[in-house]
Amino acid sequence: MAENKKILIIGGGMSGLTAAVETAEAGNDAVIVEKTPFLGGRVAQLNKYFPKLCPPNCGLEINFKRIKNNADVTFYTLAEVEKISGEEGNYNVAVKLQPRFINDNCTGCNACAEACPVEMPNEFNFGLDKTKTAYIAHNQAFPFKYAIDARYCKGKACAKCVDACKYNAIDLDMKAETVNLNVASVVIATGWDPYDAGNLDILGGGKIKNVITNMQMERLASPNGPTSGKILRPSDNKEVKNIAFVQCAGSRDENHLPYCSYICCMASLKQATYLREQYPDSKVRIFYIDIRTPGRYEQFYWKVKEDPNVTLTKGKVAKVAEDTATGDVELVVEDVLAGKKITEKYEMVVLATGMVPSTKNFKIPGDISYTNDGFVAMSSLKKGIYAVGTAKNPVDVAKSVQEATGVAIKSIQSARRSK
Amino acid sequence: MAEQIIKPDLNFINDVINSGGESLKKCFQCATCSVVCNVTPDDKPFPRKEMAHAQWGLKDKLFSNPDIWLCHQCSDCTAYCPRGAKPGEVLGAIRKLSLQHYSSPKLLAKMAGDIKYFLLLFAVPVLIFLTYLGITGKLDFANVPKDPVKGIVFSKLIPTTFFIDPVFMAAAAFAVIVFARGIMRYWNDMSRNAGTKGGSIIGAAISAITEILAHRRFNKCEATKGRSISHMLVFYSFAGLAITTTWALIYLYGPVIMKFLGMEPLQWLLGESPYPLTDPMKILGNVSAAGLALGILLVIFNRIKNSAKAGIGSYYDWLFIGVVFFVMATGILSEVFRLMNNEMLAYPTYIAHLSFVFFLFAYAPFSKMAHMVYRATAMVFAKQAGRE
Repeated sequence: MAENKKILIIGGGMSGLTAAVETAEAGNDAVIVEKTPFLGGRVAQLNKYFPKLCPPNCGLEINFKRIKNNADVTFYTLAEVEKISGEEGNYNVAVKLQPRFINDNCTGCNACAEACPVEMPNEFNFGLDKTKTAYIAHNQAFPFKYAIDARYCKGKACAKCVDACKYNAIDLDMKAETVNLNVASVVIATGWDPYDAGNLDILGGGKIKNVITNMQMERLASPNGPTSGKILRPSDNKEVKNIAFVQCAGSRDENHLPYCSYICCMASLKQATYLREQYPDSKVRIFYIDIRTPGRYEQFYWKVKEDPNVTLTKGKVAKVAEDTATGDVELVVEDVLAGKKITEKYEMVVLATGMVPSTKNFKIPGDISYTNDGFVAMSSLKKGIYAVGTAKNPVDVAKSVQEATGVAIKSIQSARRSK
Repeated sequence: MAEQIIKPDLNFINDVINSGGESLKKCFQCATCSVVCNVTPDDKPFPRKEMAHAQWGLKDKLFSNPDIWLCHQCSDCTAYCPRGAKPGEVLGAIRKLSLQHYSSPKLLAKMAGDIKYFLLLFAVPVLIFLTYLGITGKLDFANVPKDPVKGIVFSKLIPTTFFIDPVFMAAAAFAVIVFARGIMRYWNDMSRNAGTKGGSIIGAAISAITEILAHRRFNKCEATKGRSISHMLVFYSFAGLAITTTWALIYLYGPVIMKFLGMEPLQWLLGESPYPLTDPMKILGNVSAAGLALGILLVIFNRIKNSAKAGIGSYYDWLFIGVVFFVMATGILSEVFRLMNNEMLAYPTYIAHLSFVFFLFAYAPFSKMAHMVYRATAMVFAKQAGRE
């Protein structure tokens, strides 16, 4: 058999990027297949990492740079795996590439977006604002190349962007195509989606304007977010001085996600610091079943808890109502330690929604089984196929990176075994 | 906080689990239940604390508290419980154990809650009535005289005054005594547990009774909305049947008493049954029976419809529902078969009816029937203690 050193990585988020650069830097070709038009995944949407509170570009940008500088990494965006067949050392993979309608001539000048008359919900900001249909996700997106969303674009009937583009970068005739790859091993790094808050009827998710999710909170606090990093509530852009976090919004709940999503407690503690830093007179109250800050994260919990303006209360919020006059949000919860049912108003409420593996809704073709919750069932994987990060269970960024590095060596071993 | 010594009763934990609370241990104390409950007070709300107490086996804390009865098992808690711990079902199991705790003799209490003893308990009234029929030779229905005009007359099978009334009076007296002892103990336990309390007991009782009559708490249930209507139907039908029974007693004994007092009996005092279908008493009885039929069928229908979110209930629940159903069904059929003048159908159905009625009343303090007495007591206590 001919030497085959190529490794396919499904997903261009933190796990996939790490697996790709580690593999390539060890001398094996890595191919990333990413469903969206940009790499970076969920991490790109964060304001800060916990527990160090540094911005995510410190990790992402280094990885993007490593990719740019390494000819052994190739990546496809707007790409989905259609078929996987074969065995370790010799997997044949068909990848379908959806048209971006913008080619490599793009300089990122924004002229197409200015010309585009069609607005669409900004998915990168979880619908908190709108964007043009010719768009780039954010100012540090990689590849720094605009895309046109086929679901909203009116096509050649409009074509205003084509006229506006000075670089001949727009091609509305672009068609979907299929690429066939032969690889030694496959890494599933498909990541996660936030749990749909609209399912949380008693928590007002998706219904009450000033009830947002933790990922929306990341975007609100993020300098490249819809409010340029100022934490303003959606209904009236008022500065938020009094906020509540509802932990386990869907997680650890057999009516929603039966498992613990692992990151939400740390995320809420982290987000408490966003608000406390921005508005020194702000007050934060976190309602929890248990605060789960495993291992050394406990120290972060202690630190946040020391702040007298942060209150942690044991009790699961189970009723949320809107005060339509003020836009405030009323919560009902039992303060378990005091044994009292309390009703309190907040200017904004953050639901700490959990992680749903992307594979819950999009199955990877091929012989792969999943748990009831949609995670990749590890024991089912054939030789030469690996899963990493949140595709296999809820984990944080640090663990995803560690696992991805480990999986890089595993997939290289697959390639060597098949020489 | 003052130091507290708790004495977990491991057997009690198992009793709860075996009485329909098998989901007890799934509770992780998140307190979703206390929040979604619309009938709990805000201070020391239930059912979260009851779940903790039950998991720890703190029987006395649960029994000496009005809260387990303030719960109307709306099952909003069960519907939203993130763990499937079914607090509504667990509290139902605790209520059963509480009834068994306060009613005596203990052996009878135990038997009423265990499917193994159903036939034995049911055999008691059946044997009482069959023995009578055997001794009087009326097991052969040919020996039971019919009225030339009215056809079948049930009092000719078993005489009302000389057999049925004494048997039921004895059963009722037994139930009343057991109830009285039980609620006295319950009240004392609650008083001891709550410490001093204010409020007038009369005011509390009036308030509790109007609340019960209006089903005000039931109406706050969300997950099992229709229950208020079905319970109200059963409740008021029973009230109607109670009035009918009293009315019939007046018909039966009124003329006798008046004669005894040397008066001319009033025209409308009809004496022995059966009474014409047009008689107002008979109309009330038949309307109540129809209401009970509709009500208990709705109860069964709602239970099955809501079982996914509220749980299907325990033997204890279904025994009570079943007995009420058969009291209703055998009662209505007895009347129908009597009007058909078919003794082969009418007499056995009537014996079954008497047996089910006996079962319902004689064992009331040990069965779920007792809920009306204990819940009313708990509601009065809670109101008097200002626990709303």
